[in-house]
Amino acid sequence: MQFASRSYSADSISAVQELYHSNGWTDGLPIVPPTREAVQECLEWVMMPPDQLIGIEPVRGLAITAEKLAINAVMAGCLPMHFPVVVTAWTAMMQEEFLMHGATASTGGCAVLVILNGPIRLEIGASGSFNALANSDRATAVIGRAIRLCLINLLDDRPGVIDRSTLGHPGKFSYCVAEDEEDTTWLPLAEHRGVPKGASSVTVMAAGAPRQLMNEWTTKPEEILETFAAEMRANMRHYSIHPGNYALIIPKQLREHLQAGGWTKADIATFIHERARIHRREWADVGKGAVVRDRGDSVYTAMDSPDQLLVVAAGGPAGGFGAVIPPWLGNKSYAVTLPIGVCVDCEPPKK
Amino acid sequence: MFEVLDPTPGTAPPAGRLAPRLDTLEGKTVGFISNGKEGTKGFFRHLDQILREEYGVANVVSRTKSNYSAPADPHIVAEIKGWDAVVSGLGD
Repeated sequence: MQFASRSYSADSISAVQELYHSNGWTDGLPIVPPTREAVQECLEWVMMPPDQLIGIEPVRGLAITAEKLAINAVMAGCLPMHFPVVVTAWTAMMQEEFLMHGATASTGGCAVLVILNGPIRLEIGASGSFNALANSDRATAVIGRAIRLCLINLLDDRPGVIDRSTLGHPGKFSYCVAEDEEDTTWLPLAEHRGVPKGASSVTVMAAGAPRQLMNEWTTKPEEILETFAAEMRANMRHYSIHPGNYALIIPKQLREHLQAGGWTKADIATFIHERARIHRREWADVGKGAVVRDRGDSVYTAMDSPDQLLVVAAGGPAGGFGAVIPPWLGNKSYAVTLPIGVCVDCEPPKK
Repeated sequence: MFEVLDPTPGTAPPAGRLAPRLDTLEGKTVGFISNGKEGTKGFFRHLDQILREEYGVANVVSRTKSNYSAPADPHIVAEIKGWDAVVSGLGD
């Protein structure tokens, strides 16, 4: 297989590490050496030649090829079977509505949250159970890391260069979660978003850090969801009032109360849309009185409509916890869901 | 021995070309492209004043992007041809 990339020789594993660190090609952690063999195995897995064009980064006109994604995926620790997820996630990120340049350059410091659905989760061992939003398993850890290494190396999203984040958050190392589809009666997120049943898919969202909440003192769906809505209201008061895609991560303990009450994801979204809204005057309570102006009575909703809520069944079996994952900056970036293996050049993705 | 591959594009992104530098700002038209953030207002107001009063700029045209996280709108970019110089400022 012919590669376009320049190659380097290094006589030890530590020399490889120093080569990559000293060139600014890492996230600060050690990398797996991207040898020709390892990169070729990734490309063969997805049946793509090295120069396969995955897309053009829309702002700076950078061509993203399968070869470069594969090199970075290997560095992140991906096995060939993880690579289709990386390719699909990047294809999704390059859709115009995702606004990749803005989301990855912004002072707001969001990360790309990757949500996995479908059979591929089980094939690659991606877990949506214990520690779902963190180091739950190898697959989600390395896939999330590959997304970031590609941003660093392909878009120059290095801190202080293109990445102008004031703070960032730990999800910028890796931010990937698999939905626990086997342990819920709910429809998978991807199916809600139009992907056919049984297809594997990737959803990407420009996302802030998870805001963890707890309510172990009720079994009533309305009360459980009120805690989620309150966390979203807090985000709207403390961070951003812009409406957009929020994600709710609902682990098993709280999920079972909701399911027992017959609540579907659509019911949850309708309730949350009604409850997650604030008056502009509330900004005065949190030190932002200067921007209330004469619009104190204006009401702002967390989402434009219920279907902007991404409800994800994930998390360990015990604990009355949940998480709200807020959008980077409301509707400036929309979450994108793509089935794995689709050809986005063949027909436009559904909005 | 490891033979490893470069993870970066290896080539510079398509670069724009700097417009010819102006000898003077006297009598010129300068365009401002603001990202619309709060901090830009005072910055551009002050810059407008300096350019007119101290450098003799004839016209200052102020435009604001519709989305501060996205490139300038096409209709703003189209206007640039009519300006002698552009200041594209960030503000937070």
